[in-house]
Amino acid sequence: MNSLIHSSLVTALARLLIFPGLLFAVPAAWFFLWVERKAVARMQGRIGPPFMQPFFDLVKLLGKSTPPRSGVSGAMMKAWPLIAVSAAAGAVGLLPVLPARGGFEGDLILLLALLEVPSMCMIAAGFSSRSIFGEIGSAREAVLSVSYNIVFLLAILSIAAAQHTLSLSALALLPPSLMRSLGIAAILICLPAKLHLNPFSLPNAEQEIYSGPLTEYAGPELALWELSHGLEWVAATGLVATLLAPPVAMWWVGALIFVAISFVIVLLLSIVAAATARLQIDTAVRFYWQCTLIFAVLAIASTLFARWRA
Amino acid sequence: MKLWDKLMCTCRRRSPWLFHLNTGSCNGCDIELVAAMTPRYDAEQLGVRLEGSPRHADILVVTGPVTHNSLEAIKTVYGQVYGPKAVVAIGSCPATTNVFIDSRTLDGPLNKHIPVDVFVPGCPPRPDAILQGVAKAAEILAARGNNLPVEPVVMPLVGPGCGGACACGNVTQSVESNAAESGAGHE
Amino acid sequence: MKILSMLWRNLWGGSRTLLFPARPKVSEHYRGLVCFDPTLCSGCAICKMRCTARAIEFKTGKGKFTWSYNPGQCTFCGRCVEGCKTHALHQDSACPPIYLTPGELSTSYTVARRPPAPRHVAAAVETVSKKDSGEAQ
Repeated sequence: MNSLIHSSLVTALARLLIFPGLLFAVPAAWFFLWVERKAVARMQGRIGPPFMQPFFDLVKLLGKSTPPRSGVSGAMMKAWPLIAVSAAAGAVGLLPVLPARGGFEGDLILLLALLEVPSMCMIAAGFSSRSIFGEIGSAREAVLSVSYNIVFLLAILSIAAAQHTLSLSALALLPPSLMRSLGIAAILICLPAKLHLNPFSLPNAEQEIYSGPLTEYAGPELALWELSHGLEWVAATGLVATLLAPPVAMWWVGALIFVAISFVIVLLLSIVAAATARLQIDTAVRFYWQCTLIFAVLAIASTLFARWRA
Repeated sequence: MKLWDKLMCTCRRRSPWLFHLNTGSCNGCDIELVAAMTPRYDAEQLGVRLEGSPRHADILVVTGPVTHNSLEAIKTVYGQVYGPKAVVAIGSCPATTNVFIDSRTLDGPLNKHIPVDVFVPGCPPRPDAILQGVAKAAEILAARGNNLPVEPVVMPLVGPGCGGACACGNVTQSVESNAAESGAGHE
Repeated sequence: MKILSMLWRNLWGGSRTLLFPARPKVSEHYRGLVCFDPTLCSGCAICKMRCTARAIEFKTGKGKFTWSYNPGQCTFCGRCVEGCKTHALHQDSACPPIYLTPGELSTSYTVARRPPAPRHVAAAVETVSKKDSGEAQ
């Protein structure tokens, strides 16, 4: 019994810290951020940033001076990026890249909760910065978050309910089916809004609201926000990649397939980001409520119907 | 900590984030600044990002002669830029108020109010000149962050020049751009 | 879907970016820095009068004058070049360089005034008298 708990603790720590945890996720985040910027640049006919650019950005931000913050709202402003980074890192650590190792029943719910925390921290940060631009950006982010989250959660829950399981490892080992493909398509539609890409890049629109929720942040706190954004990329694309990846016997082949499928999803998102312009808030919200919600509702309804019939 | 200092110096030079401040400009220099972000000149190859908030930026890029109405804004925004920072004055207006020299609504050149590091002359300056100014400001920023001395400007001028036909002191050398040749197929 | 074909063409057509620090060539009649030729200048100071930005300064002294020019103040309009009667000014087709301290690019020339050219005296015209011309014939 003790050895069982001990080995699962070691496995959990390895998943959180080494693979697919921080040691793998932070360079992967830099790599995916660079791929997105370079792909968008090449598609716009220019050379993009050099390979190490996200790393340079992060280290430069660590070297800037910190603003003095006082009082409760100051302490809250310092806390939000820390919470966002730890939640995103935890979400990456929960991904079932190697389905046979670790994981527990119900970790799908934990993963979905951890994936929501960074955007909620950004909304809270915008309000606690007490600047008008932060408040407007946070309000827009909140409205968009409500809209795409309903579709996102309904899609994942419909896949899980169809298979009578709430464990990520079991979901990763599923054979391909129509229900699973529809659910994955719905998740892919929600990803640009989650990752603040065009056409849903309104919350951090420059030249409109001066960087939105993060207006008052600087230096190392901004570095933590950039890191949480990168880890969100890895977690979101990794979720779709683990659902799509076929199970293989050897662990390193599975890891390579995971990275390759994530890379393809990043390229797909870059094409969408380069080909579209920023939608206004009412158009973006209307897109999710009118166009995609009906399919998510149909998916969950057919799942429940199939379970009732079975 | 020498390795960390060198790393920080390189990172500050390779990742200059700009904030653009217009103090009453005619918008000619603003247009050329935005043109520097277009594919032909591509500021992103230097790691330059035009940021939305002055708190995110390292380099303050100022255009326009300094009007009375914008004085307070200039001082506020300069105070809002954190850490090692640099200021680039784009165009002849912030450097010397150019043609508006007798105007009642202006308050002198920019370096009366905030310390300016790089002046990019021109009316408006070409986008490649703006990029050179930003690159020099990034070097100054990196050296300032590590308290190193700043090297003088050694930049080749562009254009065929007079080839020494006149007796003036301007030394011009032509710089052929190889990339323009390779990119000429798109023209 | 035209945007997708545009993206595809951009992706495989190569970028049209000039790699820093390469700069594009300027056009033939590009109006750049003003160049001064002291041997041709007659010291009339029309350029100072016509300058829109007061970039040209002209000081007279005893038997000499000083012409100075600040490219940082100049707006490159070309009025001085147009107004110079002796073509002592022309605009170099080169962009002004960036500089770090104000007033760094100013140039000034002190030219000694040349003595005025000798007045053109009309040559003595020989009058041919009628008597001589009649006798010659």
